[in-house]
Amino acid sequence: MIPFERHDDDSLVDMLAAAGLRAMDDAGLGDRPVDAVYVGNMASGLFNHQVSVASSLVDRLNLMPAAADRIENGPASGGSAIKNGLLAVASGYYDVVLVAGGEKMREVIGPRSTDIVACMTHPQAEYIYGVTLPAMAGMFARLYMDKYGITRDHLADVAIKNQNNGLLNPYAHIQMKITKEGILTHPQAHINNPVVADPLHLYDCCPVSDGAAAVLLTTPEIAKKLKNTPITIAGFGQATDTHTLQERDDPTDLKAVTIAAEKAFSMAGIKPADIDVAELHDAFTILEIAESEHVGFFKKGQGGEAVASGATQIGGKLPINPSGGLKARGHPVGATGTAQVVELVWQLRGEAGERQVKDAANGFSLNFGGFGNNVVAFVLRRDA
Amino acid sequence: MKTITGYKCTNCGQVMFPRHERCLNCNEREFKKVEPTKRGKLLTYTVVNELPWGIDERGRVLGVVEFENGLKAMGLIKSDKVKIGMKLTTGWDEVRYQNGVRVYGLTFED
Repeated sequence: MIPFERHDDDSLVDMLAAAGLRAMDDAGLGDRPVDAVYVGNMASGLFNHQVSVASSLVDRLNLMPAAADRIENGPASGGSAIKNGLLAVASGYYDVVLVAGGEKMREVIGPRSTDIVACMTHPQAEYIYGVTLPAMAGMFARLYMDKYGITRDHLADVAIKNQNNGLLNPYAHIQMKITKEGILTHPQAHINNPVVADPLHLYDCCPVSDGAAAVLLTTPEIAKKLKNTPITIAGFGQATDTHTLQERDDPTDLKAVTIAAEKAFSMAGIKPADIDVAELHDAFTILEIAESEHVGFFKKGQGGEAVASGATQIGGKLPINPSGGLKARGHPVGATGTAQVVELVWQLRGEAGERQVKDAANGFSLNFGGFGNNVVAFVLRRDA
Repeated sequence: MKTITGYKCTNCGQVMFPRHERCLNCNEREFKKVEPTKRGKLLTYTVVNELPWGIDERGRVLGVVEFENGLKAMGLIKSDKVKIGMKLTTGWDEVRYQNGVRVYGLTFED
């Protein structure tokens, strides 16, 4: 992958090409042909006035005549692109697939970006009211916090942990230490940390970023012949839920998260307790807590205390988002699901530098699309 | 008064909004149209300060309301004292100016 930040001088395809080359070189692919390319991207047409970006990428990387498709699944586009590559290799039809996720969001000003992201909400039932993704998360957070006793203190713990982790990740967009005093307890903390969509404040939300990340997928037989240590995708799961939050029987129940995770664990033949490191989709701090409970790492209502206790820090019982997560690494929407898997590969190979989780053998990622209406999960494994 | 159209399943009675081709509960394809009632109850809300392009304001209150007939929908809340569970009166007003067109939607007052 390439660092997530503002890439004013790079186009979307520049970023995808840079990330793609790094993945090919990291694997030691050399001149071996790539059969297919999947690009995870949400909204290049709206952000960058460019479509058919997968065709553009094969051209830049001289991968013709490889098959090429852009995969769009909102903020889970990166995860969905990997899933498509995985199924293509598993089917036996393709041997070598390059997956690149990317988004260039900072080409437009903030309110435009907010509007483009809001296009994933229901056009007649939600979008027309001016709803934003932070607003969806705000409505969810109010119910979840009431029901399970999650406090703003717990949310601040997530933000502080992930921004601390981001300081150890040269690929992270946000490189800034924050304190509870500065964002929560000081009488003037609200100046640093204003309300975005009540009860969520600025430091509960991920930044708007540019970036790209890529992985190379192949069969176990070919992987053994390549130079770098391969990591196995041991399980994946994907599940959907109603488009609108209000049509769910219990709007605090993220069913698609639970089902996607169950499928991934079941395919891998392991349990949540076997995971050594996890990358969750903390577009908002409340989501890291809710997801950590829905995937089965903690019981409902205990995710907040788990963060407060330090259990999810690097060095804790189950480190969550050692990369800094979406909160600090950034969230170029189509890149995120791919970047999560790249981070897990580094962690499982022992290549994560200062943020390395010791002896990590099993990793888990969760890429949350829409407002929980299309979720992709992976279990990754380092084979002995 | 103009309003949204909800759908009630002719087989199991499930009330839905927005539209689905098959009932969320039983897959039935025939529905009876239903409308929001005059009064509803606030299920959740948020006060949004960072609004999308084209909405030049801060502090817009958005919420989800459950009507007396079981229909649920999002709308714009016009009240200073917002509280979960409060009773609201259903209205219909301009909610957004979009691509040169005035867009109307549900509004709620206490």
